[in-house]
Amino acid sequence: MSSTKSIDFATLSLKDALDLAVLIEEEARERYEEFADQMETHHTPEAASFFRFMAGNEEKHRAALAARRREHFGEAPSSVTRAMIFDVEAPDYDEARAFMTLRAALNAALRSEEKAHAFFVAALPQLKNADVHALFDELRSEEVEHQELVRKQLAQAPPDPDLPADDFSDEPVGQ
Amino acid sequence: MNLIPSLTPKDFKSDLKPIWCPGCGDFGVLQAIYRALAAIGRPPHEIAFISGIGCSSRIPGYTTAYGFNSVHGRALPIAQGLKLARPELLVLAAGGDGDGFSIGGGHVPHAIRRNDDITYIVMDNQTYGLTKGQLSPTSPKGLHTVTSAYGSLENPVNPLMYVLAYGASFVAQGTPADMPGLAAVIEEAIRFPGFAFVNVQSPCVTYGEEGQQIKAHKAVMKHLEDLGHNPGNRIEALDKAQSYGQALLTGVFYRDPDPPPTLGALVHERQQRLMAGAAPRARILDMFVQH
Repeated sequence: MSSTKSIDFATLSLKDALDLAVLIEEEARERYEEFADQMETHHTPEAASFFRFMAGNEEKHRAALAARRREHFGEAPSSVTRAMIFDVEAPDYDEARAFMTLRAALNAALRSEEKAHAFFVAALPQLKNADVHALFDELRSEEVEHQELVRKQLAQAPPDPDLPADDFSDEPVGQ
Repeated sequence: MNLIPSLTPKDFKSDLKPIWCPGCGDFGVLQAIYRALAAIGRPPHEIAFISGIGCSSRIPGYTTAYGFNSVHGRALPIAQGLKLARPELLVLAAGGDGDGFSIGGGHVPHAIRRNDDITYIVMDNQTYGLTKGQLSPTSPKGLHTVTSAYGSLENPVNPLMYVLAYGASFVAQGTPADMPGLAAVIEEAIRFPGFAFVNVQSPCVTYGEEGQQIKAHKAVMKHLEDLGHNPGNRIEALDKAQSYGQALLTGVFYRDPDPPPTLGALVHERQQRLMAGAAPRARILDMFVQH
């Protein structure tokens, strides 16, 4: 089942589009927070710190979009829900790995930004409302900027150690 | 029963941070449970979550509901006892495939035939992950593990066929690769009046096969609704359930269109009937002494 099946892009209003964008950022923020928690629990501070940074970025985007929504539509009730989106900008759950290097964490974030970009690219031709089209096009181009930022960080990140991944399996521990 | 529509998934998240391996499917299952509970709208203190032993059985501790991380395979007996004693509670049971279909396998048919109003969520990862990757009852034939170095010679249990054959009134399957779909079937299972079973294909990132991971699920999963499945037909459900291990079908396999009364309802009815002719409690000791 496609997670975005219930979004009718052709009839999407600007209010619903802004709400959708807020939910996408909110989900991404929560996933990065979860990943940061997982990395902290498993003593992987560099990846944890990067995921925490990404969560902060997603929250900034969410807050900016939420402010725009309030400015245009006040407290008008929302007609979109979290059930309509899944993993649009949030990294897939299995992107997290025990003892991820900073490079692996950056690559996971890059794949998420590419995924979000693909979502907006696929939605654009289906949109009928000019304002919604402009919003989605803006969001699409922001994803390109985010990809560039992550790529720049990747270029500066130290190379991964040349060790087999199995050496870093992190089996369950007592709690 | 209190219904608080403003509850959010975060209201069900405890302060305890999960220690599952990063990338474990159970993280997604936990989020789906939070969402389902928020949609149900009952406050955490009206919910009891019972589990057995295993990675997935840690799940009650990660919620703000009452929880009991019990002994291996015994989530269902404890959940049934609790539901009988406190019928007003929303009772959930959870565990892994080993907990549910090996050590606790004998309890499943009895929970089904009693039909108490419990939702049983099995996180099926086809391995004993907590004890480092031994064969479990749902491990596919031929699987190489630490206890099957040359490949498993045993056929796996099919949890869907198992519960359908014993007469379960609500049977569904989900995967954290489709969290909205998983949250929806868990919510529906909780709302179903009677024993409801949800099998969740929850990948083990440390010991699971590549083809059982979330990305692989996303590529192959098919929703039963999209296949035109009729969930009101047990025979059709059994037919679809045969695909377990070959295909990943998600959604509701079977939902009894005319749910039978729950054990709790039958017990209540009998209590009401017998109490009409019962002697006052104060006289019970006298009667016992006389006879």
